[in-house]
Amino acid sequence: MNEANIDVLTDEQIGFQLILHSGNARSKVLEALRQSRQGDEARAAALLKEAEEDLNRAHHIHFQMIQREASDEKIEFSLILMHAEDHLMSTLTMKELVKELIEWGKQRL
Amino acid sequence: MGVKKILLACSSGMSTSILVTKMQQYVKSIGDEAEIWAVGQDQAKAEMAKADVVLIGPQMSFLKSELQKEADKYDVKVDVIDMVAYGMADGKKVYEQALRLMGENQ
Repeated sequence: MNEANIDVLTDEQIGFQLILHSGNARSKVLEALRQSRQGDEARAAALLKEAEEDLNRAHHIHFQMIQREASDEKIEFSLILMHAEDHLMSTLTMKELVKELIEWGKQRL
Repeated sequence: MGVKKILLACSSGMSTSILVTKMQQYVKSIGDEAEIWAVGQDQAKAEMAKADVVLIGPQMSFLKSELQKEADKYDVKVDVIDMVAYGMADGKKVYEQALRLMGENQ
């Protein structure tokens, strides 16, 4: 997926893009934990790296929104946008926790 | 095949509810008939028996094999919504994906 330019997207599509990239990251983070649990640390590390790339895509969209607001251009508030923010933030939390859990799992072996 | 029954599922059923509306608008515009509805991830298993096909959001793709295992009992196919179609909230593309999965090529 290329990096999206929010100027060509509707407000609703911006929300969907945020959920898409955070959602892809979320799935990969959880899969990384499963892979680590099954002993495939290389696969787990690769999935976490991919998840971080997905999160970067989400951040790139988010950053453009913040810039838009900073230049006094009003961002239309909607439930879907709030939901998208929720997805992004919860996935960030999940990623940090999963990284710790994977390390913890390795130490207990 | 009678009325096509398409179940969409995502973590809370919110983004897919918007997609449902977009898909229904498209279905109506082409004079097709379909029953399309959205649920959160916890209800997906309970609802899938009523569906011909199940499409899940990208945030649920890690659950695909688990859901497919359940869906096999009812001979229902499960797939992750195409990323481009999802990211653009494109009802037409998602509907076409559902038709392909049902083996009804347009």
